[in-house]
Amino acid sequence: MADSGTKTERVTLTIDGREVSVEKGTTILEAAEALGNRIPHYCYHPGLSAPAQCRLCLVEVEGAPKLQASCITTAQDGQVVHTQSDDALRQRKGVLEFYLANHPLDCPICDQSGECKLQDYVFAEGRKHGRNREPKRVFGRDDFGGDILFYGDRCVMCTRCVRFMNEAAQDPLLTVVERGNRSVIDTFFDEGLEGSPYAGNIVDICPVGALVSKDFLHKARAWDLDHTPSICPNCSQGCNIDLHTRDNRVHRLKPRPNLDVNQYWMCDYGRHRYDWMNRTDRLEAPMIEREDSRVATGWAEALEALTARLEEVGDRPVRAIASPFSSNEELAALRLLVNALGGGEIHFRSPRTDEEIPLPSFPKLTRRKDLAPNVKGAEFLGMARVGDDDATGGLEGLEGFDGILLVVGDALPDCAPDFGSDAALHIHLGSYTSRATEAAHFRLPIATHAEQEGTFTNFEGRVQRFWPGLEAPGAARPGWLVLAALAAHLEGTAVPQRAEEMFLKAGELTPHFQGITYQDLGTRGALANEPVALPGA
Amino acid sequence: MAATVKVMRRPAAGTTSYLRSAIKGMGLTFKHMINPDKATHQYPEEPVELSPRWRGTHVMEVHADGRPKCVACGLCPTVCPANCIRLVGGEDDQGNRYPIVYEIDEFRCIFCGMCQEVCPVEAIHVGQHFENAEYTRERFVYDLDRLMEQDHESTLLWDPSDPRSE
Repeated sequence: MADSGTKTERVTLTIDGREVSVEKGTTILEAAEALGNRIPHYCYHPGLSAPAQCRLCLVEVEGAPKLQASCITTAQDGQVVHTQSDDALRQRKGVLEFYLANHPLDCPICDQSGECKLQDYVFAEGRKHGRNREPKRVFGRDDFGGDILFYGDRCVMCTRCVRFMNEAAQDPLLTVVERGNRSVIDTFFDEGLEGSPYAGNIVDICPVGALVSKDFLHKARAWDLDHTPSICPNCSQGCNIDLHTRDNRVHRLKPRPNLDVNQYWMCDYGRHRYDWMNRTDRLEAPMIEREDSRVATGWAEALEALTARLEEVGDRPVRAIASPFSSNEELAALRLLVNALGGGEIHFRSPRTDEEIPLPSFPKLTRRKDLAPNVKGAEFLGMARVGDDDATGGLEGLEGFDGILLVVGDALPDCAPDFGSDAALHIHLGSYTSRATEAAHFRLPIATHAEQEGTFTNFEGRVQRFWPGLEAPGAARPGWLVLAALAAHLEGTAVPQRAEEMFLKAGELTPHFQGITYQDLGTRGALANEPVALPGA
Repeated sequence: MAATVKVMRRPAAGTTSYLRSAIKGMGLTFKHMINPDKATHQYPEEPVELSPRWRGTHVMEVHADGRPKCVACGLCPTVCPANCIRLVGGEDDQGNRYPIVYEIDEFRCIFCGMCQEVCPVEAIHVGQHFENAEYTRERFVYDLDRLMEQDHESTLLWDPSDPRSE
């Protein structure tokens, strides 16, 4: 990366007849990528060193005596590169034929099928029929420990996994053993990848189906999965991820590159915690108080009854419990509603550990101590953390509270079934059923983060957007919509119709979000404002 | 165009006889009774001979040890234009990929034969079979066991002596 102070020198070269100007030091492969011209490659990965050993990215450079490996050849001024010349194509075809000499072609049972680079390249540029009549060498399958299975036959020896463990995880647990066509990736004797906190990334960077995830094994075909950009909700790092969904279930999480947050990686802790998005014990219909029981009803009726009750209860102290798993929009809408009711304290409880798990090559990527995605956002909106590190306790002050009690997103797993029974009005907005919320006067179903649009604020104050990958069950609606509708009713203002409008309203509540729009955030996020201390204040 | 009606006048009583027509008709009937080239097929007493390329209800091929040949690759539900195949893959105790659930809704199926064409292991086939009557609609969703039990001939998608239709 160039220093921001010095002016970077640029070079201009021609790739396949198109001129491109890139920073000095860029490789031909990266320059071609800037043109949208993807040169086939295995061993090169933008997050790792390039050993130029797969021999697939060879291109013709005018003036060079032979084909050059584009992943390590730096672009020069005036260079003329041909990626589709007869020589380059013949070379790639030949290399691909060698790759298939020992490849088992077990695509029907391979989990990588559909997102496999060997499939793609051979289909695009390879020979239609193999000419090899020799028997193939067979390795079988090896358990690498942890979540990783290794199918040696499918391996193309790009050594991305070895280099990831050496360079990024800096925990050299993998190596190449043997030589020539017997060479194979292996662990050291009995030592496996078990316990290596970033090992799951080698499954993502494996261009073929040699390294597969046990968790995902045979679960779905790659082409059946829908990819939705999202944010990992398992700690406050805010890694950019893709939700891979099918039939309204999340099947796996994959990292989405963002050089400012998580580069190309994510930790195994976050990767394997997605089951809660598929939970089926959901609240599906608004439940309202009718005499002694609670009955399911529609939204119009529920909100009408609720606003009537709010007016009936009148001016009373307000206390609210928020959740750090809620989006900025939801928390801001809660703040709006509490303000509309006359103001009151908002607390939240969040899980926390003592241990951070950094990625050695990029220590900014760390499994943070806060195990919730939006603690910072809650703090920005003036909410205070209470309770213990396992997100329990801290609610003793609410015993005997007789005002208006609002609980949003926290299922209160540690509370007794009579929680909030003294409150004049107990409103619960949640996604899951739980014992402690059954007695609430109003119990309204809201969508989880996987089912709605919104933003999280990560540990450093970076606001990042996520998108809905699942459909919310039953009548569940985004929490911000419900809260903002109530607040708008009390204030006599218009209800925000989109998450974006709600975020603009959040900007009116706190200087941190002021003036930031969804357009500013884009897909990569942006840092929230650091509020400037007023002179003399 | 205005509809026009041609009025047929009924012949006066006693001026015509239907006997000649009746005898002519009966004659034809008796001729067919003794005609050796008659076209009537005595179904179901005589089975119908189907074309080897007739595409009917499915057959799942099995290995010698009774396992289905299917490896749960997911190509047939992907290619199926009627979306009638439901497949859940898994791994058996020998580490082989196999279908935990494999169901074909024969009511939805349009018998195009693409599942057979796409199958990389020649497991699922459409069959030379058409007698599928059942007493309930549910019985038309064939599960894996039922598909493996089917004993009718599977379809030939092309003539083996002329695979390119030349």
